[in-house]
Amino acid sequence: MLKIINNLYSYRELIVALTWKNIVVRYKQAYLGILWAVLKPVLLMLVFTVVKSFVGIETDGLPYPLITFAALIPWVFFQESVSEGVNSITSNAPLIKKIYFPREVFPLTAMVTKLVELTISFIILMAMMIYYQILPSIYTLWIPAFILYTMIVALTISFFGAAMNVYYRDIGQAIPIALSLLMYGSPVIYPLSLVQKKLLVEQAAGVWSEKLYTLYTLNPLVGIIDGFQRVLIKGVSPDFDALYPGLILTLTILPISYWYFKRAESWFADVI
Amino acid sequence: MAIIEVNHLTKEYQLGHLTSLKETALNTLRRLTFRPTREREKFKALDDVNFHIEEGEVIGIIGHNGAGKSTLLKHLANISKPTKGEVIVRGSVAPLIEVGAGVNPELTGRENIFLNGAILGIPKRIIKQKLDEIIEFSELEQFIDTPVKRYSSGMTVKLGFSIATSMEADILIVDEVLAVGDLAFQRKCFDRMEELIKRQGKTVLLVSHNIRQIQRLCNRVILLDHGKIGMEGDPKRVCDNFYEQNDIKIKNNIDQTQTRTIGSGEIELVGLYFLDTSDQKVENLTYNQNCSIHFKIRVLEKLDEVTFGFGFHTTDFLYLTTHNSEEQLKINNLPPGEHVISCKIKKLPLMPGIYTIRFGITSGQAARTVYYGESLKHFQIVGSVPITIRDGFFALDALWIQENNKVTDAKVNSTVQA
Repeated sequence: MLKIINNLYSYRELIVALTWKNIVVRYKQAYLGILWAVLKPVLLMLVFTVVKSFVGIETDGLPYPLITFAALIPWVFFQESVSEGVNSITSNAPLIKKIYFPREVFPLTAMVTKLVELTISFIILMAMMIYYQILPSIYTLWIPAFILYTMIVALTISFFGAAMNVYYRDIGQAIPIALSLLMYGSPVIYPLSLVQKKLLVEQAAGVWSEKLYTLYTLNPLVGIIDGFQRVLIKGVSPDFDALYPGLILTLTILPISYWYFKRAESWFADVI
Repeated sequence: MAIIEVNHLTKEYQLGHLTSLKETALNTLRRLTFRPTREREKFKALDDVNFHIEEGEVIGIIGHNGAGKSTLLKHLANISKPTKGEVIVRGSVAPLIEVGAGVNPELTGRENIFLNGAILGIPKRIIKQKLDEIIEFSELEQFIDTPVKRYSSGMTVKLGFSIATSMEADILIVDEVLAVGDLAFQRKCFDRMEELIKRQGKTVLLVSHNIRQIQRLCNRVILLDHGKIGMEGDPKRVCDNFYEQNDIKIKNNIDQTQTRTIGSGEIELVGLYFLDTSDQKVENLTYNQNCSIHFKIRVLEKLDEVTFGFGFHTTDFLYLTTHNSEEQLKINNLPPGEHVISCKIKKLPLMPGIYTIRFGITSGQAARTVYYGESLKHFQIVGSVPITIRDGFFALDALWIQENNKVTDAKVNSTVQA
């Protein structure tokens, strides 16, 4: 973990340059430019809002578009970081073959690139909050911690996935499918309170309810998304019970994932 | 302490495709049941390579295609890891392995300078300082704000080379980069390399197929042959050895394929042989000895005003000399039949090595070519040369004098003639 931070620091100029390249190259010949980056969460939010009007989802009296957008911000950031991160090694094959620098720079850069787009999403959220006249609370200060946590989760998957993808390109194919499934396993469309109501209050799965809920919260995104909604929109402190299982799981897997990446790194240039 | 140490470096690659999922599963099953697994064939790109490089040395690495040159450089640049053995590098490395690896076509020249600088690990501050110098060297002032995708390939390479050589590292690893751009730019690159080597005292590893360049720049040459060090040491000795190997290869190739000639069909060359001083037929000629070359021709149709010409050239078609029969031999009329034309050479000045011959015949007022052929006969020049003559193709008959000393009869004659 310390090593990652150390590398992050010593290769900061490279990460900045590569991030800047990613952004410039992607939007160079597009008239809408970087606006394309925020189109995805905005469109998803609109679709969900339309769907919600048929289905009817409990939102505790808060505007649904705002709740959804607050959920989509971390979700889209996570999803894009992972899918870019997993493909970051293979898509930079020419560089890998010619020049040496620590290879974790690539998944890191993929994530930092998404951080720029995340910032723009936040600006849109601010505009929406002004529109719905919702004031941010003191709990908004939790946001940097949540973003850092999201980054760590994304990195954990990226390191492992990127290294595997060099050997088996199946990973690159499987990741989008896995991610879209994970979205339904995370409280993006529906709020966490709905799951809590079903499992913890109504005990819908009988004796297995509590265990099922713990299993559900093992998904780190559950705690993150709920946290975003709580501190940004609801103005209450994060629900730590929903956070712990995912956090423990992530912090256990991260060292293994990083170790695997570093071990595989030596053969990237030969195999890629 | 050596700046680069390579100890028992071995690199194996597996031949063929990556194993399929089925194969991996089957192998796991075999391992579990203690049966031998099916391994893919291995290929040793490098086989127990050992050498040390001291600081400030300029090392050339030569060898035929697939000898392991690039693989070796990849290990020194830390891009690949050895299968066995170790590589110790004490100092920062600037890998110029293929210039322009990090050039992005969408970005402009200027943007690429910053991006590539970052990739090579040059701090932004240094790049900013050197920006003008880099742009000037690349000769792309006019196009520097145009996306690289609109550049010609030569321009891209110029840009890449300019960025890469501005990096300040202890060790420079160069793979075939000097063969880029037009002749003037090649010259410039060569000068920049020479400056880095001679003036800044950098340690340089150079891989090139341009052996003459290697011989000139390096103070030690390593000849790789099928992943092993075939020869190592003095550039001249190693390069000559490599040339000989190549010459034999080329000779074999040419002996198999028929020499390419063009002709009008009125005349054909049926024989070509050398005679030495005692009029004995020889295959090899001796340096600084008289000899004669004999061309046996068969005339099929009557020709008038015939002129012959021949020349020596190297196996890589560097034309060294020519000589033609104009003013020495006047043949107004050449009747059909076989004729032998010969040319006597006094004190053959060609340095030992492998050469070949070209021969041509023209006819008529307009000097119409009726026969022309190249690489007609490969031959070796043998003999020993005095220590005063080392490099090149020709021996110069010259004498050194100190002007204020009284030296009489200091005749200086150039014998470069053919």
